[in-house]
Amino acid sequence: MNESSLREVEKRTYMSYHQDGLIDIFVGVYVLLFGLGILFSTVTSFSTWFVIPAIFPAVMVPIWMSVKKRITMPRIGYVKIGSRGVNKLMAIFIGLMVAGLGAFMVLTFASRSQAWALTLRNLIIPNGMIIMGIGAVIISALFAYTMGLKRLYAYGLLTLVLFFTGHYIIIPFAYLLVIIAFVIIINGSVLLMRFIRKYPLAPGDKANVEEPL
Amino acid sequence: MSKNPSNLRNIDRLIHEPARLMIMTQLYVVESADFLFLQNQLQMTPGNLSSHLSKLEEAGYVEIVKEFIERKPHTALKLTKTGRDAFKEYQQNLKRIFANLPE
Repeated sequence: MNESSLREVEKRTYMSYHQDGLIDIFVGVYVLLFGLGILFSTVTSFSTWFVIPAIFPAVMVPIWMSVKKRITMPRIGYVKIGSRGVNKLMAIFIGLMVAGLGAFMVLTFASRSQAWALTLRNLIIPNGMIIMGIGAVIISALFAYTMGLKRLYAYGLLTLVLFFTGHYIIIPFAYLLVIIAFVIIINGSVLLMRFIRKYPLAPGDKANVEEPL
Repeated sequence: MSKNPSNLRNIDRLIHEPARLMIMTQLYVVESADFLFLQNQLQMTPGNLSSHLSKLEEAGYVEIVKEFIERKPHTALKLTKTGRDAFKEYQQNLKRIFANLPE
């Protein structure tokens, strides 16, 4: 029993916990909100669209947990993952996001007076979609590897291909986000239907009612 | 019992049994899990799982936590500190045994 065997057991746990596709549906809705928000802002000049995706996690995480308790728990049971593996990765990911946002703000501020910052900014902004596509594929691959969820590789690759295509043939960023969101939501819905069919509930089944021990 | 760390007699027989090793491994990688989750993951019958869990509980390796989730009774299973330490020691002992085997 070595560390790699433990990682395999950990991966199987994540795969089992996320086989219901709920995480895909919620992430898809989040990406869709971003896309629609940007689209809406370009049509109506409503500049505070980002408030909706910003508050989304606070609203949707409790809903996701509740749906998980109603759909997943009665079928495959309940597991609290803890602080190993993906939770560490999530902490690193959030840290990197905050650091990246901070760096971007510093760069924007510095580009007003510093020539180097302006040059760097002028290099990043026109290639934003390529940078984001590469970022998306790296992040997806990291999560896919840690969680053993192979479909995350496909989502990352799809994002990369669409963002590269969008960069070269000039497709608005919002449209690309909406396409990606629909693919993720549809896949999540298919997984959810399969999961419900695979683990049907017998009448009167409840989530983990006292087991004989 | 010999003090030689590579001695097979140092292996914790309670953990070494395949079904209990699977339970301990599964609980080691999570914070807690319930009976149904373990049963699904390990593909064990309720009776078999229950009997192994009782042995692990008696040894103080597994803790059974009764709680309420959305006003429904729920039984969570988790490794105790003793259980985690015993599992780590079991791992170390196995590593030593295999490291000391001739090629």
